[in-house]
Amino acid sequence: MAYSELIKNFECIRDYMRQFYVYGFKNRSEYDAKSARSYDNERRRIESWMGDYMSFHRDAGGKNVFLSVDSLNISANPLYQAFKAKSFTPGDITFHFYILDILADGKGRSVREILEETAQKYLFCFQTEQGLDESTVRKKLKEYEGLGLLKSEKHGRELFYNRAEDCIDLESWREAIAFFSEEDPLGVIGSYLLDKTQAKSSRFSFKHHYILHALDSEVLCSILLAISENRCAELTVVTPRSRGKARMHTVFPWKMLISTQTGRQYMLCYHYRFRRPMTFRLDNLCKVKAGAQERQAKKYGNWCEKYRENLWGVATGVEPALDHLEMTIHVDGGEEYIVERLEREKRCGSVEAMDPSTYRFSTDVYDAAEMLPWLRTFIGRIVKFKCTNPDVVHTFYSDLAAMGELYGGDEDAVQ
Amino acid sequence: MLFSEVYGSYYGAVAAVLTQAVDGTLTGEELEKIVQEKGFAESVLAIPAALRDGTWPLLTTELTTPLCHKPTMPLTTLQKRWLKSLLTDPRMALFSPSIAGLENIEPLYTPDVFVYFDRYGDGDPYHNPQYIAHFRTILTALREERKLQVTFDGHRGKKHSWECIPYKLEYSSKDDKFRLVTSSPRSTLSINLARIRACTMLEPYTQEEFRPIPPKKETLVLELRDERNALERVMLHFSHLEKETERLDESRYRVTLNYEREDETELLIRVLSFGPVLRVISPNRFIKKMRERIEKQLRLRA
Repeated sequence: MAYSELIKNFECIRDYMRQFYVYGFKNRSEYDAKSARSYDNERRRIESWMGDYMSFHRDAGGKNVFLSVDSLNISANPLYQAFKAKSFTPGDITFHFYILDILADGKGRSVREILEETAQKYLFCFQTEQGLDESTVRKKLKEYEGLGLLKSEKHGRELFYNRAEDCIDLESWREAIAFFSEEDPLGVIGSYLLDKTQAKSSRFSFKHHYILHALDSEVLCSILLAISENRCAELTVVTPRSRGKARMHTVFPWKMLISTQTGRQYMLCYHYRFRRPMTFRLDNLCKVKAGAQERQAKKYGNWCEKYRENLWGVATGVEPALDHLEMTIHVDGGEEYIVERLEREKRCGSVEAMDPSTYRFSTDVYDAAEMLPWLRTFIGRIVKFKCTNPDVVHTFYSDLAAMGELYGGDEDAVQ
Repeated sequence: MLFSEVYGSYYGAVAAVLTQAVDGTLTGEELEKIVQEKGFAESVLAIPAALRDGTWPLLTTELTTPLCHKPTMPLTTLQKRWLKSLLTDPRMALFSPSIAGLENIEPLYTPDVFVYFDRYGDGDPYHNPQYIAHFRTILTALREERKLQVTFDGHRGKKHSWECIPYKLEYSSKDDKFRLVTSSPRSTLSINLARIRACTMLEPYTQEEFRPIPPKKETLVLELRDERNALERVMLHFSHLEKETERLDESRYRVTLNYEREDETELLIRVLSFGPVLRVISPNRFIKKMRERIEKQLRLRA
């Protein structure tokens, strides 16, 4: 089949884009999931969509392709481009413009009338082999009704189609859309809308802006649709540990947990088989299929909310019991901003002043090991550190000793 | 259906081509130019040919079209539901779109569906009328390219007043704060919107006056040891910065990051958070600060 910039299935490209963006040190032979030809085609497509954001470097292993983006200097997420590359048939694009043109005068028409006009007003102008297949047109009309582009009404035994009403003043929305297309987890929809407006440079820039989540938009959209209707969902999950093997899970999706410090997105849900709330990383979900409506939505939702109270991030550790953790820090005069940091960065627990220069943070969480990265940001100030999980204390101090060795000695030692 | 050709770049490019064809002004040169602007890098090899050879019977050989109207497409239900969801976001109070046409639309989600579990707890006051008024004045000044007179509280509580050229509104999801980034020929200043006490629009600025100074960039070189899934964690954590990664051997990588000088302290604690799996190779100034903090901590334990 001839090469095309367009793709039928987004899932095929998702992993390549993630690897180019996140890692960027692999060469062609290391992309072993597909054939070398498939790699060449996918790389060419991504280069075609991403343009200047693609970079290359060579090392002993060959040419490495990567996506490098300083997200503070972009006003639009370049990964959204991939969502604008869906393939279609000649019939799809032709009938798209014909149908919307026929119905542009606001007058409803039956399928028969649409077929007649298509033949007489449009196809007549061309010596085309493209036939006028009634069932294709019917399917297209039905599909467009599902998308919300058309509406239908029965007149007697005939179905009449018209364009859906659309009196939304998109220009009045433009700045809000420019902001939320980057800031909202499903911002790709905003990007579609911006394509319909008179493009002007955005007045916004975004710091600590993680753009990779864009690749999970299709999965996220399916989850949000299931949540909005209180439906359970069937997940197809492939984790790095499962070595490409897909596993199925049936869950009741409840909320999306999102990290503003890595961009990772998780779904918090009730797992029917495991009979407990749990989380799934969105980039491990290949497919989400909405199932039946859940009659006990409130009960499962309450369990999930209760579960969330003692989550630091998303991990629950091996044991279901809680870890109690206390960190006491020293603050010099004029360093009140450190106490402010404790207050604004703690996600649960409390901060207590022991004396004017000593503050204690304490909390109970499912997995205190998950707190270690945050605790290390206070290195240089921690006067006391306690945790009921001895492994956490051991890891903290052994890591500290290892860091001491890494940076110890005279200045030349770390050159 | 989120991944659909109706949102695609090819449909957008063809709609733009047909718009000119309906006007009767389309030329072969224009056709290629539109596709180059609206399509992907290689679209010019596919779209004009398919339109010209009748694969997509929408353009005649004379570059006219049987379409009677300039192509338009109503918003899809998904697009409307997304817009309706935005109306429930507290930050929406900063904007003033027309909500006509969304009255009977169900939102796709409500804001409580998303939990930003590591977002800082002292975000901006989006419901404060004064804050909203300042935001809107700044946005208008940006739109109309006008100068601003801004009075704000400094970090130590001192009041400052500045005449400035607004450059950008910068938002951080982690901080949940907006900052006004200003530009002047001599310096650049960023002001937290929540610290602004008064904000007045002044006269338009000239293009000669608008010379935003690019922020001072630094390079940080790190060596990463891939233990405890560190490779993925580090790559994701710093993925918002311009970066390059090189594999040194089976488990060691060199990561080069470009960052803004004013963010150095923040970057320092972020590097610290990874513990011994990350080692700073350069600059020396950064290494020195790392060493100071670690040594101080080791002394505290003793």
